[in-house]
Amino acid sequence: MIDGTAAHLVVSGITKRFAALTVLDRVDLAIARGELVTLLGPSGCGKTTLLRLVAGLTLPDNGHITIAGRDLTKVPPHRRNVGVVFQSYALFPHLTVAGNVAFGLNVRRRPKSEVAAAVHRALQLVHLEHLAERPIAALSGGQQQRIALARALAVEPDVLLFDEALSALDRNLREEMQIELRRILREIGATAIFVTHDQDEALTMSDRIAVMNHGRIEQCARPREIYTRPASLFTLQFVGLSSRIAGTVAASDNGRIQVETPVGRFEAAGTLAPGDRAIVATRPEYLRVGSDGGGNTATGTIRTIVYQGSRCLVDVEAASGQSLLASLSGDQAADLSTGAPIRLSWPVTETFAFPAPEARP
Amino acid sequence: MTTPTAAPRRVPKLGRERLAAVGFALPALVVLMALFVAPLAVLFAASMRGPDGPTLDHYGRLLGSATYLGVIWNSVKLALETTTIALIVGYPAAFAIGRARGALRSLLLASLFLPLAASVIVKAFAWTILLRSDGLVNLAMMALGLTQAPVRLIFTETALIAGSVNIFLPYMILPIYTVVAQFDRRLVEAAATLGASPVEAFLRVVVPLTLPGVIAGVALVFSLSVSAYVVPTLLIGERYQTLTTLIAKAYLLAQQPEFGAAAGVVLLLIAVVVVTLSARFGRPVRGRS
Repeated sequence: MIDGTAAHLVVSGITKRFAALTVLDRVDLAIARGELVTLLGPSGCGKTTLLRLVAGLTLPDNGHITIAGRDLTKVPPHRRNVGVVFQSYALFPHLTVAGNVAFGLNVRRRPKSEVAAAVHRALQLVHLEHLAERPIAALSGGQQQRIALARALAVEPDVLLFDEALSALDRNLREEMQIELRRILREIGATAIFVTHDQDEALTMSDRIAVMNHGRIEQCARPREIYTRPASLFTLQFVGLSSRIAGTVAASDNGRIQVETPVGRFEAAGTLAPGDRAIVATRPEYLRVGSDGGGNTATGTIRTIVYQGSRCLVDVEAASGQSLLASLSGDQAADLSTGAPIRLSWPVTETFAFPAPEARP
Repeated sequence: MTTPTAAPRRVPKLGRERLAAVGFALPALVVLMALFVAPLAVLFAASMRGPDGPTLDHYGRLLGSATYLGVIWNSVKLALETTTIALIVGYPAAFAIGRARGALRSLLLASLFLPLAASVIVKAFAWTILLRSDGLVNLAMMALGLTQAPVRLIFTETALIAGSVNIFLPYMILPIYTVVAQFDRRLVEAAATLGASPVEAFLRVVVPLTLPGVIAGVALVFSLSVSAYVVPTLLIGERYQTLTTLIAKAYLLAQQPEFGAAAGVVLLLIAVVVVTLSARFGRPVRGRS
């Protein structure tokens, strides 16, 4: 979090259009030194374009980018000192591992001994110093990923950018690399932006997540807050599971609203006016079997029970086919069976209400 | 890189693969043996034929005379100049085609391939028409007032080089284009984010990675232009003797097939040396630090 300290990287009012398409629409983002912020969103949301703008590989139509107080908006990429780890790694196939890692230092005309030491340090950090003299083609995907990271780290960039850097790895390796990467970035105190469409990756890696949609940042907050306090329907739907019920606001009083739905009347925090179409929602973890789980209750029939180890995910069909998802602890789920009627309840404080998206013609 | 652990099991598989490779090469091998190696053997034999058994006299006559050495140099010089200019013109052209998209790319590729369909003789004659004293170039220059009287263009070295570059340029562009078309532009972006200026990214990344195409183009254009016969005959004529015109004269006019054969072998050796050297430089660059 920024917390009073001056932000290290500031993106302000960035707009980028490709022909008639507005890819980024007045985006603001401030990142503290040493912080890892993830840009999370579906493909086409503008997250990669934002990353490329920070790297200087694309120029914005409007807005400014500053790093450590220096305005970089129009500075070409090679004078920015911003490291990028590309999705395809973009390693130089004509150079060895050491040659790749040394590239940035050689370009900077650093003395040989200094280059050798920096290459060794960077390779040590990714635990691949024994591969220094290998050609790139002889490396596995995971190794290439680490070399791409080592190459970016070797020049000690002000900011490190990762463009879907782990998405080419298979699942186990990816999860391993997420933890590894987190360790390395902590160790060197790097300020980093991580672009991904994988919410689990975002939740695992980030200090903060910026959820992006249609060229805008919908919400930028800590992972827990993104999950427990989604600021928009999009964030709610894009990150994690949720139950969503459409209805109409029946009453509004002092930041509390009552929403009438086919499933029942629910109370939530919100400022919508009576008569507004609304979506009430909650996360599966907040639902309890019975009536004492909180102020909102609903009844239905159990459709499926998915065993998930310590917990069970139960899909309940409520009135008019409405689906409610409950994540229940083992003992709560013990007596449940599909087809049986069930009553669920959840706290009003964990119930969200959003204006319903306008119906498309 | 050899991985010792994997070696024992890979040997039989590799043997089979090699066998298959030989099998695939067999038809070409047979054709080359019959149409290439056999005539070359005849040529070699002819170049050493003397009244009293094998002799190197014909080579001595060729390499011992300043005039003939000058002829050899003419051939090499023509090939070097053609190759150099074709490289300077062709390298950026290959990038232009590689970067073009859609219809423009098809158009550029067609303009590259179509001239290959026209015979060298036709193209060489076209140049003579363009460059003669009442040719298009002279008419244009006089119309623009650049010159009062027609300038001598045809039968000059300039005409020779211009025609030669024009005719052999596609052989430079094609192999470079093939490499450029596969070139991953993110490598240049990666270089930029690592601090390389556009010039440095070009020198450190683009040049080494397109080098195999360049070397293939150089080998092709050099061997084609060093052995060109129609182009020097039509565009410069008697004033500029090359090995090829010398060979033709030895066979057709002087009735000295042995001398012609020796000159042919020398020409072949020049081409072989250049192609071998470029193949050596053109090996896929592997792991330099």
